[in-house]
Amino acid sequence: MSTHPPFRGSFVGPGGTNEPRNGRLLVGGAIAVALVLVGVYLASGGASYTPKKTQDPCKPRPWGNPESLGEIANQFSVSALDGAACKLGVSREALARALATPAGRERFRRRYGIDDAKLAEAIRAGLVRAVDDAERAGALPPLVADPLRSAVREIPLDQAIELVRDARSALGSLEGLLGPASGLLERFLP
Amino acid sequence: MGLVLADSSVVVLALPQIYRDLDTSVAGVTWVLVSFNLVMALAAVPAAMVARRSGPGRAAAVGLAIFAGAGIACGLSDSLSALIAARCVQALGGAAAVTAALELLPATVGSERRAAVVWASAGATGAAFGPAIGGILTQLVSWQSIFLLQAPVALVAAVPILAVARHEAATGIVEPELRRTGRPHLWANLALGMVSAAIAAALFLLVLLLIEGWRLSPIGAAIVVSAMPLSALLGSRLDPLAASAKARAAAGAILVSGGLAALGLLPHAYVVLTLPPQLLVGVGLALVLSALTETALAGRAPQAIHGGWTISARHAGVVVGLLLLTPIFTSDIATQRHDAIEAGTAVILDSRVDPLVKIDLAQRIGDQLESEKGKVPTIGPAFEPLPSDPGQRAEVVGLRDELQDQLNRGATHAFSPSFLLAALLGLLALIPIGLARRVEL
Repeated sequence: MSTHPPFRGSFVGPGGTNEPRNGRLLVGGAIAVALVLVGVYLASGGASYTPKKTQDPCKPRPWGNPESLGEIANQFSVSALDGAACKLGVSREALARALATPAGRERFRRRYGIDDAKLAEAIRAGLVRAVDDAERAGALPPLVADPLRSAVREIPLDQAIELVRDARSALGSLEGLLGPASGLLERFLP
Repeated sequence: MGLVLADSSVVVLALPQIYRDLDTSVAGVTWVLVSFNLVMALAAVPAAMVARRSGPGRAAAVGLAIFAGAGIACGLSDSLSALIAARCVQALGGAAAVTAALELLPATVGSERRAAVVWASAGATGAAFGPAIGGILTQLVSWQSIFLLQAPVALVAAVPILAVARHEAATGIVEPELRRTGRPHLWANLALGMVSAAIAAALFLLVLLLIEGWRLSPIGAAIVVSAMPLSALLGSRLDPLAASAKARAAAGAILVSGGLAALGLLPHAYVVLTLPPQLLVGVGLALVLSALTETALAGRAPQAIHGGWTISARHAGVVVGLLLLTPIFTSDIATQRHDAIEAGTAVILDSRVDPLVKIDLAQRIGDQLESEKGKVPTIGPAFEPLPSDPGQRAEVVGLRDELQDQLNRGATHAFSPSFLLAALLGLLALIPIGLARRVEL
């Protein structure tokens, strides 16, 4: 047990006559340093971060100038996703995460309450939009776009999903379905 | 003393590992910290009273033994509830050891004033060094080792105290009549609580940001946050400026708040940008904790009881800080995570990568999200294996980095409101600091 007397007056420091001046210097210095650091971080954009917003899938997304079948297929997929997502009222990103596997589709169904019939209808609408966009951008001539549009309106769900995921192969294989238009794809696509 | 007070922060860097191993959530694992601090807050004054009655040597020895035993129980815990229960017991032992130490110190260091300074410095240093030590142990050994290693350290510390305890038992030198304890220093303890809440935020949030937000390894995070204790050492050297305790407390609170505000305004997710704010927080915590503890103890007797009040105030502050800020940042993390993943998926979908690859990538990101419910996602595995085609591979690596940047910035931003609120708490501590008058008893 301590027998030392309690010490007194901690708020009175040992600095003697310089103590008030030192105290003011210390507090003033602390304020200055803190303000400078916060100011530098603010000036460097510390308060300006806003996460990138995803685009409304119902708004048209401009096509670039596709120069190969691969690039057309890429933009075709994105347009199809936009169209389907717009129809379903979900983000294009959420829909894309649903289409790769049956498990992803099941999770999507549970989360958004969208059954396969609604999904199929939406993806077909998305594919029609993709054909429209491609035609408008001059990537598909009307002679190819018209029968393709008719074909995707009747396409089963799994094939529709496959067409979104792998538009390049699917576009190629659709040549067979186009009957009289067979061979035109290769001719018209760069 | 340092060991026990380091214990409230030593586990911070292990928390991410603990919540993975014990399959809990950020909010759940916070209780590993909250439980210890809550029991310390509640038990410190009663423990000090027990130490006064039974003799500080005995109280410290028994406290350290309980602390060591409970530490082993923490290390052997296989569930969150068992770990939290052991932490509560550990805090009981810690409270007894810490408050009794203040009674023992004057005999060692020569005076009560010197004892208060040493005691306050040990507390500040322990709290500041805790996370770095915990991080190194977590990565090199395991999170369990943090607790298991405390046992031998506590027992070694107990050895010299045993001699005092034996002396007390043999001579019966236990103060028979308790001196009037006087009221605790309200303003100093209140300020101590508010500043501790802010500092807890600095340690806890920064560690979570580094490990969970920016995915640093525990040892990497330990190296980064060691800037804070090193700055605290620098801060302890400012005492010779001979400013009053009030000025040191005010300057410290301002520096802590400035550092926290800067952490809340990080312009980029770069580790180096956390260093200047840490410098401010470290210097500030050394100034403010020691000045306020000295003030709370000044002119008051017995030291153990008033030391108990400071421990209680500090740990109550930590509890309030954690309970106030955890719900805010966990909710912000969830929102930011969703926004960042959506934005990242958009980047992937708009890329020139083959649609087959990118829709597959989008799906894998979704799977990764599902597997990390409630946590900040680690997105790297979603990109493995990388495509074999060199062109696609470069494109995918670029996308991964871009998505990682989105996540990093999102995670950084998610912590901003909590850091800024903590800065406000630190600034509010200026009110009781300003109200505290010259202490005379």
